[in-house]
Amino acid sequence: MPAKEVGTAKVWRCPICTYDNEDSMSACDICGILRNPLVKSNIQINDVAAPFKFNVPSPDDLVSSGLQSLKMKSKDNQRDTTIPVELELSAKDQESTSASVTRQRGNGVNEKDYAPTSGSIPGMPHSNVNTEAMSSKTGKVEKTIERKTASISDFTPETWMIPETVDGELSQLNLAIVGHVDSGKSTLSGRLLHLSGRISQKLMHKYEKEAKQQGKGSFAYAWALDESAEERERGITMTVGVAFFTSKKYHIVLLDSPGHRDFVPNMISGATQADAAILVVDASMGSFEAGIDATGGQTREHAQLIRSFGVDQIIVLVNKMDVVGYSKERFDFVKQKLGTFLRTCGFKESSISWVPASVMENQNLVANSSDSRLSWLVAAFAVTLSLFSQDFFASSVMLCNLPLILLCRYRGPFLMDAIDSLQLPARDYSKPLQIPICDVKSQSQSQVSACGKLETGAIRPGLKVLVMPSKEIATVRSLERDSQPCSIARAGDNVTVNLQGIEGNRVTAGSVICHPDYPVQVASQLEMKILVLEISTPIVIGSQLEFHIHHAKEAAKIVKILSLLDPKTGNVTKKSPRCLLSKQNAMVEVALQGPVCVEEYSSCRALGRVFLRASGRTIGLGVVTQIIKREN
Amino acid sequence: MKIVRRDLTRNGPGSVKMIPEEADDLWIAYNLIVAGDSVMAVTVRKVMREAASGGRDAERVKLKLEINVESVEYDKEGAVLRIRGKNCLENEHVKIGAFHTLEIDVNRAFVLRKDIWDSLALDVIHQASDPNASADLAVVLMQEGLCHILLIGKSITITRARIETSIPRKHGPAVAGYDKALTKFFENILLAFLKHVDFNVVRCAVIASPGFTKDQFHKHLMLEAERRQLRSVIENKSRIILVHTTSGYKHSLREVLDAPNVMNMIKDTKAAQEVRGLKDFFSMLSNDPERACYGPKHVEVAHERMAIQTLLITDELFRSSDVATRKKYVNLVDSIKASGGTVHIFSSMHVSGEQLAQLTGIAAILRFPLPDLDDIEM
Repeated sequence: MPAKEVGTAKVWRCPICTYDNEDSMSACDICGILRNPLVKSNIQINDVAAPFKFNVPSPDDLVSSGLQSLKMKSKDNQRDTTIPVELELSAKDQESTSASVTRQRGNGVNEKDYAPTSGSIPGMPHSNVNTEAMSSKTGKVEKTIERKTASISDFTPETWMIPETVDGELSQLNLAIVGHVDSGKSTLSGRLLHLSGRISQKLMHKYEKEAKQQGKGSFAYAWALDESAEERERGITMTVGVAFFTSKKYHIVLLDSPGHRDFVPNMISGATQADAAILVVDASMGSFEAGIDATGGQTREHAQLIRSFGVDQIIVLVNKMDVVGYSKERFDFVKQKLGTFLRTCGFKESSISWVPASVMENQNLVANSSDSRLSWLVAAFAVTLSLFSQDFFASSVMLCNLPLILLCRYRGPFLMDAIDSLQLPARDYSKPLQIPICDVKSQSQSQVSACGKLETGAIRPGLKVLVMPSKEIATVRSLERDSQPCSIARAGDNVTVNLQGIEGNRVTAGSVICHPDYPVQVASQLEMKILVLEISTPIVIGSQLEFHIHHAKEAAKIVKILSLLDPKTGNVTKKSPRCLLSKQNAMVEVALQGPVCVEEYSSCRALGRVFLRASGRTIGLGVVTQIIKREN
Repeated sequence: MKIVRRDLTRNGPGSVKMIPEEADDLWIAYNLIVAGDSVMAVTVRKVMREAASGGRDAERVKLKLEINVESVEYDKEGAVLRIRGKNCLENEHVKIGAFHTLEIDVNRAFVLRKDIWDSLALDVIHQASDPNASADLAVVLMQEGLCHILLIGKSITITRARIETSIPRKHGPAVAGYDKALTKFFENILLAFLKHVDFNVVRCAVIASPGFTKDQFHKHLMLEAERRQLRSVIENKSRIILVHTTSGYKHSLREVLDAPNVMNMIKDTKAAQEVRGLKDFFSMLSNDPERACYGPKHVEVAHERMAIQTLLITDELFRSSDVATRKKYVNLVDSIKASGGTVHIFSSMHVSGEQLAQLTGIAAILRFPLPDLDDIEM
């Protein structure tokens, strides 16, 4: 964040007017610029305001929190206050806000530092008023928290929820592997696990032996992910395989998705947890064309789905290069064709990286390829390089190697490099807990294990949580990450939560674990904005579709087609059209057969994204704009 | 449906005595009987009688009653028709004008007396007495964790069973749990299958699913049949067909009926015709939207211009108690038939009929495009 800190002195330089402010000032004295500008509106600044023990506040706390609670009031429209000092304090409000933000970041600025700030407020009378205001405020805040359906803005994350940026600790990245059937996704996952040391040589030998016995020798690596007898027998992945490994920069959670048309619902459920994706394409003749085929190639469908999950970073791994003899022309052909398609999906050129590789021969995965056939022009990849690696490397490559172009090896990013250069998306630590449940195992009576990725908030053992839609309270007995127990899990982590005090049949895939005071909404009739993909039969009122949202799926019916929207501006072009054709944007109302946990897209993205499927194809992508009928 | 006695004049009054033989026939009767008709049947009524000692005694007496129909209800799952109305026949126990509800179920004879026997009603009677053309398909529509067992009859589709379980994923240590849960799921389906699918009635059984669930279930079925010596399954092994669908939800039934090997079996049945008709409509709507329209207003306008080639209409529209509306639709149907078009009357109990009902219940494929239909309010 652009806070300019001058060494360790207790001054900071304002970026605009270059005035040296005191460390304790959170806004520039001269120009009023905030020191740590408000990031996203998502992170509610007024969350952190109130102290945790309302019963016994220390005098310092009283004053400072009086400031902050007043600040909270002024920002919160719901509560009307008529405290005259509010206006005077408004100038200080921003500073206390950003101060609270700094505190949120865990920079070690504790509350005592606010004393001098508040000291500059004229005299004691204010403090008195503050105290009164605070105590009345305290009562209100308490009541709000006790109220069952409190609004999100009242949520105050506790300190353990916000991660400290400890150096050396790797953050978790959820990576989905998608692509057309038989492009090599499971094999790639197995290879990566093996190369990073997750799978021992002995285990790998065992897989190889067993695979050969069953006549599926080439699937040896895939067997690391495809564990059930059914999958191994048929040589396909049916459900998303989850595996953990570590790269230089991240703890990576691999979500190996099925490529078959019939299992796209499983792929949706798995990939909804993804932060970034690897799209595996088969470079061999015919297979690539089949994958990108408009009428049913999974390369196409997966790319569209991935984009609509909100994933904007994608690595395209062009696999099976050994089959085409590492031909540059083929790679370029694939890159050009797929590139145009990905651009139409909405991926930005800069966030796609192209990696040619061969998983079977272990080329270009964890190190630059040693194969002489890959000695291509460096210049072609310098552009990609400069975007992903450090700048100096790219410039030095270009300078030093230009005369030696033809003799150089392929220096484009290898796969692990490309993975490490992915950016982590912003995590919502400061919102109440929400975990959409991907998978449930019933351990024994009243003990259930649920896996999922935390979308917002944080969890640790001992907490009481609420499971929607069954509205049951359970206690967290323990947490597991990567089969090892862990003490805290925060937004972005993929964990297994062991719950106690709840029956197995009350928790299913598609349920959501949430904070008891901030339940997720449950509804069966929704209004959504959808984009219709390429369809063969038009969508009319009464069309029956399958509705997929996070991990839940339901049968749904279009109740009303409200209006057609202009794709660019979003304005209504036609009210109540008769039917919907391909590539139209529209507002529709759907009724579901059963209730699902859902939130409006504007408040929670992961719980507001919808996929509509019918006749084995994804026909629409949408976001929930309004919940019409809530289940209570 | 057994028609015992027929005594009517076309477009005039008359009566018919019939005995419904299966659930389908009750549905047909439901469509026939409207408010204003009169129905006579043997029924049981609780009658109060004064005993000699002055105490009142309730007795259940079997009597033959004729009532003027006020409302009709059809209970799908229980397969019984309830007709409510006022008594109009002189009877020693029941006064004229007293309300009574007749319960007609399978194998109970009744006489239906109507004022006007229009062409539609006669068509229905004719079809009802037709012994063949009974679809009778049992479908096990499933996906992992969800299963529907449906019986497709001549004019109705009944959901016999719905089984839903949560099946865990296959992560390393939990693979055993997955197998166990799946076996239990299949066991439940097997029990329901044995209970509801009677191979004497049903022509064939279809197992449909996306992915490989159907193969897994089929294997399980065969194994269990061998193990437990289930004769009904073993003998009819050849009548079990596997079909691929895209989901286990009820609307995928369309795809089952579309599948070529199933289609062969049920080519001539109403259900198949309905599915085909609807499919034609949708393909017309996507290829040439101006040659397809739906909604009563649009269809009327199209009819005025003599543009209708094929009319798709659900029988629900005929069941309206308003005589005028019913007459209007009957006239519409008659005139289209007269002008050389075709009319498909969809049973709203079938999947395609349900879908058409969602689409306002009436749709048409036109002979020539009518572009200005879009401007007319629906």
